[in-house]
Amino acid sequence: MWNEITEKLHEVLRNVMPQVDVVLGWERGFNPLRIKPVVVRSEKDISRLVWNPFCVQNLTGYLVKNPAVIAGEGKKVAVCVKGCDSRSLVALIQEHFLDRDRLLIIGVPCQGTIDWRLVMKKIGNTTTVFNAHIEDGILRIEHSGGLEQMSIESVLLRRCLRCAYPNPVIYDVLIGETVTPRIDKSELYRNVAQFEQKSLEERRNFWIDVLSRCVRCYACRNACPLCICQDWCIAERRDPKWVTQRPTIKDIFIFHSIHALHLAGRCTECGECERVCPVGIPVMFIKEKLNEINLRLFSYEAGLDPQAVPPLLTFNPHEAGI
Amino acid sequence: MEEKSTTSANEMKIIGFLCNWCSYGGADTAGVSRLKQPTDLRVIRIPCTGRMDPLFVLKALISGIDGVLVSGCHPKDCHYAVGNFYARRRLEVLKEFLPFLGIDADRFHYTWVSASEGQRWQEVVTEFSQRIHELGRNPGVGTKTKTENSVEAY
Repeated sequence: MWNEITEKLHEVLRNVMPQVDVVLGWERGFNPLRIKPVVVRSEKDISRLVWNPFCVQNLTGYLVKNPAVIAGEGKKVAVCVKGCDSRSLVALIQEHFLDRDRLLIIGVPCQGTIDWRLVMKKIGNTTTVFNAHIEDGILRIEHSGGLEQMSIESVLLRRCLRCAYPNPVIYDVLIGETVTPRIDKSELYRNVAQFEQKSLEERRNFWIDVLSRCVRCYACRNACPLCICQDWCIAERRDPKWVTQRPTIKDIFIFHSIHALHLAGRCTECGECERVCPVGIPVMFIKEKLNEINLRLFSYEAGLDPQAVPPLLTFNPHEAGI
Repeated sequence: MEEKSTTSANEMKIIGFLCNWCSYGGADTAGVSRLKQPTDLRVIRIPCTGRMDPLFVLKALISGIDGVLVSGCHPKDCHYAVGNFYARRRLEVLKEFLPFLGIDADRFHYTWVSASEGQRWQEVVTEFSQRIHELGRNPGVGTKTKTENSVEAY
């Protein structure tokens, strides 16, 4: 099934190549579980591209972060997006970081992406993977220790387990059939509600506990397609000095507050921050709460309507109760 | 944050961010009218509540400040026309967000006081500092570790 979709992707790209300057997609990495982003500029390289549930990266960040992938005069950038990635694109178009007319969006409905770390944990971290096949929700892995089968559901990333938008919300070409969301929109924030049953002190201790693992590598910030300050990020400025260089829990708290609050009302929950975290901090959970607040106060969900304005970048003089 | 010797034992550390055009004048009016006010408040003058970065509040509360009060012009009365409309949304989102990190949202309050409302300013500041006294000291996050220019940091 994934090979068919990959072939379809190649076919579509060959057809649109005349108007496209550069293609952003995924290619196979050093083993079948590891997929890496690739920038393709010529037709002969199109066959490198793949699409399968190991394509975890959100490629939209490459369009805005330096050195950004930009198309030549009169041409377009083709970018492959899953459901969550397409919402990042919408958010970037909303804030005028991207010009919709210069993009050719290739949407691929997503049935969930796989966390290679969970797979490796199951088959043993030192094994070598030769082959990985997915069929009917079962992942079959040939590795140096033999053959192993597991259900896809047991190795999905957390963001995929709570995905309500698996189908791209914005696209020029859609490849493959649309899929039904794993959960309903009304259930999106059940984890937040559950967490809020705890007392204030328990919550603070929870965050102190998980955030004390943070090494401030800034991977969460760098992977985020909407964190576009880059070298101007206030977490690395000496003036104004928001955080020190010292690895104390206080500085870590402030860093994550900066990251979360700068994304308040903008975060599209693509989960890249959490996926790239080397120490497994549930970074996206902080943003889930902010999104829950924005949904409740302003009935706003980020990354759905390219014409909408994020709620904290505007105001309504008549709103009551705030 | 280390306790300064000038701070008496039962005095709380409260930061007030006051808009230059309204609440700062309101606090001045209260002073000129010789209205009695609690002494826990340290005032920071800002050009407009639109200048308020929610991170000001978060950093203060994480660092162990006992309470943060933000006060500006009444909505529709902003000197810059719309500053407090933006502030209203940001500060409300922040207020809802604080408990998620385990910070008591009662330690943060935002309100609107105009330059002529000396009486109202007195009520606001008295009420807020009373509330903070009831809540007691803010544990903050990691405030016991020595940081910031301290030689014993390591």
